[in-house]
Amino acid sequence: MADVAFDDAANLARAQPLRPVASEAPWFRRTLVALVLAIVGVLLLAPLAVVFTEALAKGLGAAVSALGERDARAAIRLTLLVAAIAVPLNAVFGVAAAWAIAKFDFRGKAILITLIDLPFSVSPVVAGLCLVLVFGANAPLGAWLVANGWPVIFAVPGIVLATMFITFPFVARELIPVMQEHGRAEEEAALTLGASGWRTFLTVTLPNIRWALLYGVLLCNARAMGEFGAVAVVSGKIRGQTNTMPLMIEMLYNEYLSVAAFSMAALLALLALVTLTLKTALEWRYADQLAANRRH
Amino acid sequence: MTAMRAARFRQPSPLPGFGLALGTTLAMLSLIVIIPIGALLLKGAGIGIGDIAANLAKPRVWAALLLSFRIALLAALFNLAFGLALAWVLVRYDFPGRRLLDAAVDLPFALPTAVAGIALTTLYAPNGAFGQLLAPLGIKVAYTPLGIWVALVFVGLPFVVRTVQPVVAEIDREIEEASATLGAYRARTFLRVILPMLTPALLTGFALALARGVGEYGSVIFIAGNLPSVSEIAPLLIVIRLEEFDYDGAVAIAVAMLAISFAMLLVINLVQVWSRRRFGDA
Repeated sequence: MADVAFDDAANLARAQPLRPVASEAPWFRRTLVALVLAIVGVLLLAPLAVVFTEALAKGLGAAVSALGERDARAAIRLTLLVAAIAVPLNAVFGVAAAWAIAKFDFRGKAILITLIDLPFSVSPVVAGLCLVLVFGANAPLGAWLVANGWPVIFAVPGIVLATMFITFPFVARELIPVMQEHGRAEEEAALTLGASGWRTFLTVTLPNIRWALLYGVLLCNARAMGEFGAVAVVSGKIRGQTNTMPLMIEMLYNEYLSVAAFSMAALLALLALVTLTLKTALEWRYADQLAANRRH
Repeated sequence: MTAMRAARFRQPSPLPGFGLALGTTLAMLSLIVIIPIGALLLKGAGIGIGDIAANLAKPRVWAALLLSFRIALLAALFNLAFGLALAWVLVRYDFPGRRLLDAAVDLPFALPTAVAGIALTTLYAPNGAFGQLLAPLGIKVAYTPLGIWVALVFVGLPFVVRTVQPVVAEIDREIEEASATLGAYRARTFLRVILPMLTPALLTGFALALARGVGEYGSVIFIAGNLPSVSEIAPLLIVIRLEEFDYDGAVAIAVAMLAISFAMLLVINLVQVWSRRRFGDA
């Protein structure tokens, strides 16, 4: 491009002179793309591929029958149950938090947002330990609950609480910026026209945030079903009772039952792939209705 | 409505539901997050600074904390550089498979950590696909601190990419063109014009990846080998202490890790304040 004649105006216009100066040399671009693709292949795609090749190492039949084992089915059921409780509760929390934070101005809002974000930066194991300190048999509350027949730690409620802690910010984080962007003019108009508060929420606010809500729920669910560290601390890992799918994977893997471990892992990897596909589809189709800055 | 109007700490608004929404938010936040973390801090206060310090000073504990922090730092540094390259390629270049690559970046967010852990271990074990290639070179990955680094690079990768990507997309190309017109080479434009604009996002992504790496458990414990003082990470030591019913020991490590988390959060918030002052509302 350097030897374009400056007096040749027509040539200059055709040559799109602005593009090269604000970009890198072609050889550099090609090298960088190749490098990035290679590293992503080794770092991200190879682990994904190995999950499926190991699961199918002894054929599809062996993988399916491993998933049909009694303890495996119990683990799958428990994971589904925990997600079915934790995700809707976190969705309700997310909508409530976003409504309060995005539609109103009040003191201490910044602190509230920081507290909601806190679980993102706390180690899952520390989260599990915190729950043990409140609800464990050594704590006053925990001892009282156990005495009354409602054990939390080493039981399903503890797993639900641990899962909720880890996935707590997902829906709120997604909804707050979207609702802030919408402002409150539409809701105010609906109220002026005589709609009740709930009707305003259901017919004005909810349609505006539905895709963002679905997006948040999707990410929340993927993390909820896959959570390991926090759940490992509170579950007690009782086979057939408090073993979730990720905990079952660890148990099978440590017993050298490779096909069984990777079959369970493949099931969760499939969930991850479905999540990514739906997430990407939502981003393409409804980009304008999702939070612009995707942070997890 | 009337109950809300009585609340003086907020600006008046015609919208209903503030009390219900904030009440639900605070109730759930307290039950799930604040009370449990408060219990940890309370327990830590009960043990006392002196005993916590004594606990942390034990060689095995100190080694685990140092290992977790050091490897997380090294992994976050790699992700800082590679995340920037990845974000740049995704925004600026057009090539076949770009959108697929964009979707693949989120794989570590979507793939459960235990799945990533056993998959990485299988790949990098001495008889695994990558382990076999590296063994003749004398490089052992699985069951060494290098394995921990690989796992932390995996889980931390999306953080830098996803914080930097939207900022790269918003860079005004005319500024780069102005820099080039004024005679700067491309590399100089990148270092002196583009990089300063990306610095807040890079720092935020780096801090997020670091925070995640320090606390990461699921993907690490399979590949680490978990040799005390060599490849035993701090979160694992908390689990071990709990299994020994040594609650004070577990709490001491957890308090130290929580302090690191808070420091990280503070850094992220300070970076954002600084960036807003320097670059306007970002």
